[in-house]
Amino acid sequence: MSPTDLLDLVLLALLLTGAIGIAMLKDLAACAIVFSAYSFVMCLVWAHRGAPDVAMTEAAVGAGITTVLFLTVVSRVGRREK
Amino acid sequence: MNARRRTARILAFALLAALAGPLIHGVLQLPAPGSADAPAHANVTANYVERGAESGGAENLVTGVLLNFRALDTFGEVIVIFTAWLAAAAVAGAVSETGRRAIPVSPVVDYVIRALGPFIAAFALFVIVNGHVLPGGGFQGGVVLGAMLILLSLVLGPAPVAGAFSARHWAWLRATGVLVFAATAVIGLALTGHLFGLPAEPVLRKSLMIVLELGIGIGGGAVLAGLFFAVSGVQRS
Repeated sequence: MSPTDLLDLVLLALLLTGAIGIAMLKDLAACAIVFSAYSFVMCLVWAHRGAPDVAMTEAAVGAGITTVLFLTVVSRVGRREK
Repeated sequence: MNARRRTARILAFALLAALAGPLIHGVLQLPAPGSADAPAHANVTANYVERGAESGGAENLVTGVLLNFRALDTFGEVIVIFTAWLAAAAVAGAVSETGRRAIPVSPVVDYVIRALGPFIAAFALFVIVNGHVLPGGGFQGGVVLGAMLILLSLVLGPAPVAGAFSARHWAWLRATGVLVFAATAVIGLALTGHLFGLPAEPVLRKSLMIVLELGIGIGGGAVLAGLFFAVSGVQRS
């Protein structure tokens, strides 16, 4: 297995962990943070797979703006999932 | 109540299973990722890679596809993000509370964001106007611009950033992407005979693409900042 494939495997494992974590977490603020980390790993996958345009959008929108939007909404509607 | 809940769960599970079956079946029939003889790669992609730079009018093939070959799709996306803001503003406007203040942040974070602001804005502009040669373009630059506006309103409080323009002017800024795109579509029709067509003359084509990218970028940035203002309750519309 080449180092490139290994990096992909590690990134995909991180994505899977993040996705399962988001589904399991009951704390919505924590969900938003894990989602942000998930997006950042996704951004690395795009960059590594040769799609810099998508990676840039993923970093700004996924890891940045949606996190702020989620946290703002969570601060207004309450933190615990009912 | 409990029995009804259980029935609902079983039903939801059955529905999801019924949906997952066909989806998995479909995915299994897709060609292997990256295989060169998949229909999309053998015909469409090969053609784009071979002749895209000249016929698409941009050295960055992604930009060529976005603004030229698939201009109608991109136009749809521009409309979608504008509509997203309209919906958020309509929903948030109903529960708006004004006078929210800056969240207290540490002086270090405060200083760093203030100092970085102009550089982020310059980078956003650079990404927007170089979209035809480098990775990036209107969308990417626009989201960087929007992120900068959101960062600034986190430290300064949303009021000074939202107050930079009147609500009417913000609305026009948010519509820039849609309006500029529609205008270039019509200009394309006049110059080339196709909607969204880009003229073959290089200087004209490049300037049209840069205007288009600037429109998408400014509109996108204003929409994202507007989404933030809407959910944080600073701006009704």
